[in-house]
Amino acid sequence: MKGIPTVLITVSPEVSAQMRPPRALYPNGFMIGNSLGKPNMRELQLQVLRDALSLLTQDTRPGKIIMRDYPNYGEYHEPPG
Amino acid sequence: MSISRKCVPFTPFDGEIAKSTVALVTAGGVHLKDQDGFNIADELGDLTYRIIPEDVNAADLMVTHHHYDHSDADKDINVVFPIDVLRDLQQEGFIRGIARKHVGYMGYTMQLKAMYEGTAREIANEIDKGSRADVVVLTGG
Repeated sequence: MKGIPTVLITVSPEVSAQMRPPRALYPNGFMIGNSLGKPNMRELQLQVLRDALSLLTQDTRPGKIIMRDYPNYGEYHEPPG
Repeated sequence: MSISRKCVPFTPFDGEIAKSTVALVTAGGVHLKDQDGFNIADELGDLTYRIIPEDVNAADLMVTHHHYDHSDADKDINVVFPIDVLRDLQQEGFIRGIARKHVGYMGYTMQLKAMYEGTAREIANEIDKGSRADVVVLTGG
């Protein structure tokens, strides 16, 4: 059995750390329910998913959660109406 | 498929991301609108999962989960289940393909052993058999 490589995007890093995920990205400050960011912020969502997938080829320590900053997460505004 | 209990179940990745097919597995309670929702009435949680096909229209997906605020996912499912984001990554050549099937389950349970030894293995088997995935992206809520 070979297994399938995984990468986790977590917004609950303390909880996820208990499970010692093989690879994990924590987008710093993202709220629960916003794993990829805010609604319709596609560029931000793309950035988070690219970063998560990129962990597959980086020399990360299994069980360690990598934190990255995404300043534009805070620029979300509720669409009017 | 068995899952290691004693150490981090780390599977090395020896390929290239640009040549990989990606599956999504989310604990965010995502499912098709015409599939049964998860059982949020049971205090023990729901150990079942739903298969989401590769050609799914994001508008046909919804969330049943009562342990996180999914109002943003209700507006754009991609915040917890980035299927359209994956399609964009495929379009730009960052990944090769999108797996034939993806999985949604409700990541809340008081039956941890059953989730770990039952549901998790079943989901791994679903992905292993017939999804053509080389890698899996996991998301919570």
